Amino acid sequence: MLSRVAESIFWMARYMERTNRMLRMLHTKYISSQDEVTDFSWNSVLQTYSDKGAEHNQLIETNSPRVLAHLIIDKENDFSVINNITRARENARSVQDHITKEVWLCLNEYYHLIREKQIEDNLLSGDPITSLDQLIRHGMLYNGTVDITMAREESFNFLNIGRFLSRAIISIDLLTIKLKEYNYDLAKHADDPTWRFLLYSLSGYELYLKRNKGRIDANLVIQHVLYNPEFPHSLQYSLNRLTRYFDRLKTESNFENHSQLEFLIGRCSNNIKYSNFSNNSITLKDFLKQTRKELVEISSSFNKIYFGIT
Amino acid sequence: MEGHPLLEKYTEHPGLWDEMFGDGDIRSHYQNFVSAIENLPAEEITRKDEQAKKLFMTQGVTFTVYSSGEGIEKIFPFDVVPRIITAIEWMHIEDGIKQRLKALNIFLKDIYHQQFIIKDGIMPAKLIYSCPNFLREMVNVDVPFDIYTHISGVDLIRDHDGQFYVLEDNLRTPSGVSYMLENRSITYRIFPDLIPKNNVRPVKDYPDRLLKNLLSLSNSQTSNPVVVLLTPGMFNSAYFEHTALAKLMGIELVEGRDLVVENHFVFMKTTKGLQKVDVIYRRVDDEFIDPLVFRPDSMLGVPGIYWAYRKGNVSIVNAMGNGVADDKAVYSYVPDMIRYYLNEEPILKNVPTYQMADPEKRKMVFENMNKMVVKKTNESGGYGMLIGNSATEKEMKDFKKAIEEDPRSFIAQPIINLSSSPCYIDGELQPRRVDLRPYALYGPAGVEIVPGGLTRVALREGSLVVNSSQGGGSKDTWVLGS
Repeated sequence: MLSRVAESIFWMARYMERTNRMLRMLHTKYISSQDEVTDFSWNSVLQTYSDKGAEHNQLIETNSPRVLAHLIIDKENDFSVINNITRARENARSVQDHITKEVWLCLNEYYHLIREKQIEDNLLSGDPITSLDQLIRHGMLYNGTVDITMAREESFNFLNIGRFLSRAIISIDLLTIKLKEYNYDLAKHADDPTWRFLLYSLSGYELYLKRNKGRIDANLVIQHVLYNPEFPHSLQYSLNRLTRYFDRLKTESNFENHSQLEFLIGRCSNNIKYSNFSNNSITLKDFLKQTRKELVEISSSFNKIYFGIT
Repeated sequence: MEGHPLLEKYTEHPGLWDEMFGDGDIRSHYQNFVSAIENLPAEEITRKDEQAKKLFMTQGVTFTVYSSGEGIEKIFPFDVVPRIITAIEWMHIEDGIKQRLKALNIFLKDIYHQQFIIKDGIMPAKLIYSCPNFLREMVNVDVPFDIYTHISGVDLIRDHDGQFYVLEDNLRTPSGVSYMLENRSITYRIFPDLIPKNNVRPVKDYPDRLLKNLLSLSNSQTSNPVVVLLTPGMFNSAYFEHTALAKLMGIELVEGRDLVVENHFVFMKTTKGLQKVDVIYRRVDDEFIDPLVFRPDSMLGVPGIYWAYRKGNVSIVNAMGNGVADDKAVYSYVPDMIRYYLNEEPILKNVPTYQMADPEKRKMVFENMNKMVVKKTNESGGYGMLIGNSATEKEMKDFKKAIEEDPRSFIAQPIINLSSSPCYIDGELQPRRVDLRPYALYGPAGVEIVPGGLTRVALREGSLVVNSSQGGGSKDTWVLGS
C-alpha cells in the first residue's frame, strides 16, 4: 500500500473518532447544562476544543447555543466538528480506491448533512439535541459501514490503528477535562453525581452501573475508564486493540520498522496495565500527561516509519 | 407538436439541425423515448430533474472549486433528456474516428522520427517547429507498439444539414469519460426500464477495455505488471474522474510525490518499501511531468521519469509530445495526412480552417470577422476564443491586433451552427446547442470506441460554447443497437 494512502486512511479514522466522541460529549454536556441551576460554564470544554483563546471563551462560555455552534459548525474554529468531518472527507477523497464506496458515500453524506441549514437552525434557535442526535446517528452509521464493508486487509488495519490511537487520547482528554472541573480534588468530589456525565460522554454509563451496583465513586469511575478491558472506550481496551491491529501489519511490514513501533506500543500498553491509582490525584495527573505523550510519540513514529514523513 | 403537452411550446431554430425534430415531426429514433415521457406531468419531470441533481451530489460526482480556502462542491450540470444517435450514424462516426486516429498516430511516429510528411512537402516544417507542443525531447524515442494516442476524445459537431464535422482532436489527456459513465447510471435511476426498451448499447465496459490496453503495454517479461493512474492531486478539477477510473480498473491512484525514479526505473513508495511501476496512465500534462526536463517549478510530476520512459523501463499513456498533433493549426492538415498516410478520403470532414499566418487568408478573415470564430491554437476549455457574430467592435479590434503580432498562434473558422437538442430547462423543453465527444482507445489490437460518449450542452440560450468552464452541461448519450 502507498505510504500516502496509509497516512490518509489513518487520519480519516482519527478525525472520525474525534468527531464521534466530541459530539457525544457535547450532547451530554448540553443536557447536563440544562439541568444545572446556576453558573453553568462551558469553559473547560472550550479550553480543549476551541482555538480562539481565553478572551473569546469568556465571552460565550455561558451561552450554550453559541458554544455549540462554535464547537460544531464554526469553520473558523480549527477543532470544530465541521472541520473534523471536512478533513476526514478530504482524506477519504484521496484514497477512494482503498476504502469501500459505501464508506466514501457515508462520509460524503455526513459532510453535506452538517452543512444543512436545519442543523444550524436547531443549534442556534431550536432544539440543539435534534441536531446532535442526527449527527451522532450518522457517526454510528459510519462506524457500522466501516465494519461491514471494509475488507480485513492493510487499509482496515491502518484505519483501526488510527481509530484506537485517537480513542485512547480522547479518553484521556475527557477524563482530564473532568478532573480540571474538580480542580483535581478527588477527595472532595468522591461521590459527586456529575461523574456520570463523563461516563455518558464515553458511552460507558450502563456498563459501569452493572459492574458497580449503581454506586458512583470517583475511584471506581477512574478504574473503569482506565482499566476495564470490556469497556470499548477504556484506555486499556483501546491499547489492546491498537496492539492487535498493529500486530496484523507484521506480514506487510519491513521487520525492523515493525519492531521499532512494536516497542513503543508495548511499552505504553504495559505502563497502563501495571499502573495503579487510588484517590491519588497528583500521580494521576502526571500519569495521564505521560501516557498522552507516549501516544503522541507513537503517532509521530507512524509518520516517520510508515508514512515516510520526515 | 400538437397533442404533446410537453412538446407544444418547443420551437426549433430555423437553419439548425435539431436532434429530436425534423420536418415538423419527431425523428423516428426519438419516438420511443418521447412516448415514454410525453404524458408525464411537468412536475414529474421537474422531480426527476431534481432527483438527478441530488444523486450527483450524494454519489460525490462533483468537482471542487477552491476559493477562499475552502472547497465548494459543484456538480457538472446534467440534462435529463438523452441525446440519441442511430446505429447508422454511429457506424459513420466510428469509421471516421478510427481512420482519423490511425492517420494521426502515424503522423506522430513520423514527425518524431523520419519526418517524411515534411520532406514530401505535405506540411510546412515551420508549422511543426513553431508549435510549442512539439517536444524535441521525443525525437527518436521509440514508444511501445508505436502507439501514441492510447486515449483520445474527438469533438464532433453537426452542421445544419446534419453532417458531422470534427472540431478538435484531443490527444493529450482528454477528460469527461467518467461523466459518460455516470450520466448513464443516473439515467437508469430516473427512467427505469427505458434504456433496455430502447435497445441502447452499453458503455460500462470502457474501464475494462482501457485496463486491458494498459496491461498489454507493459514489458512482456513482467508477469504481473503494476499499472497506476497518476493524478495531479485533488485540487485538479477532474479529480473525481481520476478516482473513479482508478477504482473501476482496480489500479493504484498515485500522485507525483508517491513516485520516485531510481536507476531509470520508476517505483512507488509503499508501507513495505519501494515497488516497481510498469505502466502509468498519467493525467498530468507533458510540461509538468518531469521537472528535470520540462518545467523545473512543477511539483506534480516525477523527477527523472522522462529518462525512465525513454529507456523503455516504464510505459506512459498517452505518449508525451502528442500536443503537436492536436494543435489547432496542425488540425487543418489532418485530411491531407489521411490522404498521405492511408491513401483514403477522409470519412469525417474538418471544419474549414484558415491559418492566420497566411497573409491572404488573414485579410479575408479580417474582412468577414463577424462570420468567423477565431481561436488561439494553444488554448482549450473555450478560452482564447472570439465568436464573430456576438463579439463587440472592441473585442474584434483587440483580436486583430493580437493576430497581427503573433499570427502563428491563431486560426479562424467559419461559424458552424452546432445542432440543437431539447433540454429540460425551467419546466419546459428548450433547444440548446450540443456537441459530441466519443472516447477512442488505441491498443495493440487496434482502435476501439465505446458506443456512446459525452454530449456537451451549451446551457445558456443562444450560446455556442459547450465547455464546462463556460456554463456548459452534459447529457447521457444513447447509441442505439441495430
